[in-house]
Amino acid sequence: MRQGFRQSMAWLHTWSGLVVGWVLFAVFVTGTATYYRAEISEWMRPELQAGASIESGRAADLAADYLKAKAPDAQGWFIGLPQPEKPLIELHWWKDLVSPMQHALLDPRTGAPTQARDTQGGDFLYRFHFELNMPPLWGRWIVGICAMILLVALVSGIITHRRIFADFFTFRRHKSAQRGWLDAHNVTGVLALPFHLMIAYTGIVTLAPMYVPWGITAAFDGDAPRFFVEAGLSPEVRAPAGKPGGLVSLAPLVAAAEARVSEPLEHVAVYNPGDAAATIVAIFEERKGLAHLHPQIAFDGATGAELGATGAVRPATHISTAFVGLHEAHFAGPALRALFFLCGLMGAAAIASGLVLWSVARLPKADERPGFGFRLVRALNVGAVAGLPVGLAAYFLANRLLPVGLAGRADIEVRIFFGAWAMIALAGLLRPHLRAWRESLGLASLLFLAIPVVSALTTGAHPFDGEARFLGFDAAMLATGLLLAFAAYEAGRARPQRRAVQADPAAEPARIPAPRPAGTPQKRNAALPQARRSA
Amino acid sequence: MTPIVLALNLALSFAGLAALALSLDRHHRDAFLTRAPTNRARSLRWTGWGAILLSLAASIALDGWNFGPVQWIGALTGAALLVVALLSYRPGWLRPAALAALPLALLALPFALRG
Repeated sequence: MRQGFRQSMAWLHTWSGLVVGWVLFAVFVTGTATYYRAEISEWMRPELQAGASIESGRAADLAADYLKAKAPDAQGWFIGLPQPEKPLIELHWWKDLVSPMQHALLDPRTGAPTQARDTQGGDFLYRFHFELNMPPLWGRWIVGICAMILLVALVSGIITHRRIFADFFTFRRHKSAQRGWLDAHNVTGVLALPFHLMIAYTGIVTLAPMYVPWGITAAFDGDAPRFFVEAGLSPEVRAPAGKPGGLVSLAPLVAAAEARVSEPLEHVAVYNPGDAAATIVAIFEERKGLAHLHPQIAFDGATGAELGATGAVRPATHISTAFVGLHEAHFAGPALRALFFLCGLMGAAAIASGLVLWSVARLPKADERPGFGFRLVRALNVGAVAGLPVGLAAYFLANRLLPVGLAGRADIEVRIFFGAWAMIALAGLLRPHLRAWRESLGLASLLFLAIPVVSALTTGAHPFDGEARFLGFDAAMLATGLLLAFAAYEAGRARPQRRAVQADPAAEPARIPAPRPAGTPQKRNAALPQARRSA
Repeated sequence: MTPIVLALNLALSFAGLAALALSLDRHHRDAFLTRAPTNRARSLRWTGWGAILLSLAASIALDGWNFGPVQWIGALTGAALLVVALLSYRPGWLRPAALAALPLALLALPFALRG
C-alpha cells in the first residue's frame, strides 16, 4: 500500500489533532487566561485594596513569625512578599518533598490570616493549564505529551493544508459548512502560526528537565540542584547541619538585598529554617528583557552573612530562560499582552474549528446512520468547547455567590467549575447535536453576561458607584458573553447537516478543490441566506 | 515597547497586508468586483512587502533586537486577523481602512521616535 507523502501527513494531522484536541483546547483557554492571572486574582479577592504601600522587610518578619509557630521543622518556607497589585503575604511550606505543599495567605499589616475570601483566584487557571488539577507529575506528563503531539500536528498541518499560504487571507463563511470550518481552521492556524509554534515549543522547554531528566542525572550524578546552581539559575543551598539553630530576623537581610538589586523583591525562601545551617534566599523579579531570570542572593540563616548570588549566565542558560520568558510574556506591556492574548485565543479557535471540521468532514450521507465514533466525537466536542466556558463562568460566579466565610470555599469553587463543565459534557451526550451547541453556548453567554451584574450586586463595587477597579474585568466578561452569544446565534441558524453530494468519505478536508468564483461579481449580502440554507 | 510603537507597527502591517491581499485576484474582486490589472497587482505587492519590511525595521530600530521581532510578529498577527475579518464581512472597507492606516503610521512615527 503506497500513500503519498501529503496523504500520510494528512492522516497524521487529522488523528494526532483529534486525540489531543480536547485537552489542548482547555490548556489553550486556561493558559491564555493566565496572561491576566494577576488581574483575575485581584477580581476574585475584592476585599483587598491594591496600591497600599507595604514595607517588605516587616512583611517578611511577620511571615517568619507565623511560620515559626506553624511549621518550625519544615524543610522549606517560601514567602511571597506583598506587591502593589497583590497586597498579601503568600506562604508555601513543605515538611519534605513527599508530603503536600501547605499554603496560607496573611494580611501584610497584621500578619494574621487574611480576611479576604478564600479562593485560588487566577492561580487555579494557571496551574490547570499545565497540571489539569491532577497530581502534579501526572498532569505535567499528560500536558507535556499533548504539547509534543501538538508540535507534530502543527508541522504535519502545514504540509496537509498546503493552500494555507495561497489562501492566507481567505475566510469563505458561506460556501459550505465544511469550507467555512476549513477556512476558519486555516486562518486561525496560519495567521498566528509563529505564536503556535513558539508556545508549544517553549511550553515543552519549560518542563524539559522533567521530561528528559537523564542528561542532568548523568552529568551531575543525580544531584539535580547542582545543575541549577552551575547553570546560574539559583545560588547554592547548604545541606542541613543536623542540629537546631536560631534564625536571624529577615528585615535587615531584605533591606540589604534590596539595596543591591534594583528590581522589586518578590520572594524570600528559607531552607531548613530550624537548622543551624539554614539558608535564606532573596528572589527578585526578572530583569527587563526576554529572559526569565530572577536575580537571587543567598544568606546564612544563623549569622545573616551573604553566601552567594546569581550573576551573569552563559548563553545556553540565557537561551533556555528566554524561551520560558517568551512563553510567559511577563515582559509584555498592556498592548503587546493583548496581542499575546489574541494569539492564544486564535490557538484555541484553531483547535476548536479543527475538532468541528473533523466531524463536519465525516457527516453521514442522507441514508446512513451515524456511527458510534462519530457521535462520540461530536458529543465530546460540545463538552470540551462549549463546556469549558460554562465552567469558567460558573467558577467566577461561585466566587461572588458563595458565602465569604464558608469553610473550604476555595475547593468548592473549583468543584463548581468542574461540575458545571461536566453538566454540559453530559448534555452534549444526551441532547440533539445542534441543539446541544446552541443551548450550551447560549448558557455560557448568559453566565458571562451575568458576572458583572452579580459582582456589582454582591460587592457593591461597580462603575456607577465611582468604583472603577474592575472595569477592565467586567468589560472582558461582557465581551466574552457577547462573543458566545454570537456563537450561539450562528449555531442556531445552522441546519441539521447531511452530506448531499456523493463525496468520497475518505477524502481529507484539505484535498477539496478550492472553488474559484465565477466571472460574475457576487451579490454577497443578498445571496447569503440562500447560500447558507442550500449548504 | 511603548503602545505608540505597537500602534505604528499595527498600522504599517495592516496597510501592508491589506495591499498584499488586494494584489490577489480573489480579494481584489471581493473589494472592487474586478480582477487586479497586472501592473496594479505588482505595485500593490511591492507596497505590501515594503510596508511589512518597514514595520520590521521600525520595531527593531525602536525596540531593539530583543523585543523588536516579538513586537513585529505580534502586530502582524493582529493586523492579519483584521484584514481577514474585513475581507470576509466588509470587503469594501479594506481599501479605505488601509489608506487611513498609512497616514496614522506616519503620524505615530515622530511620537515613537521621541518616546
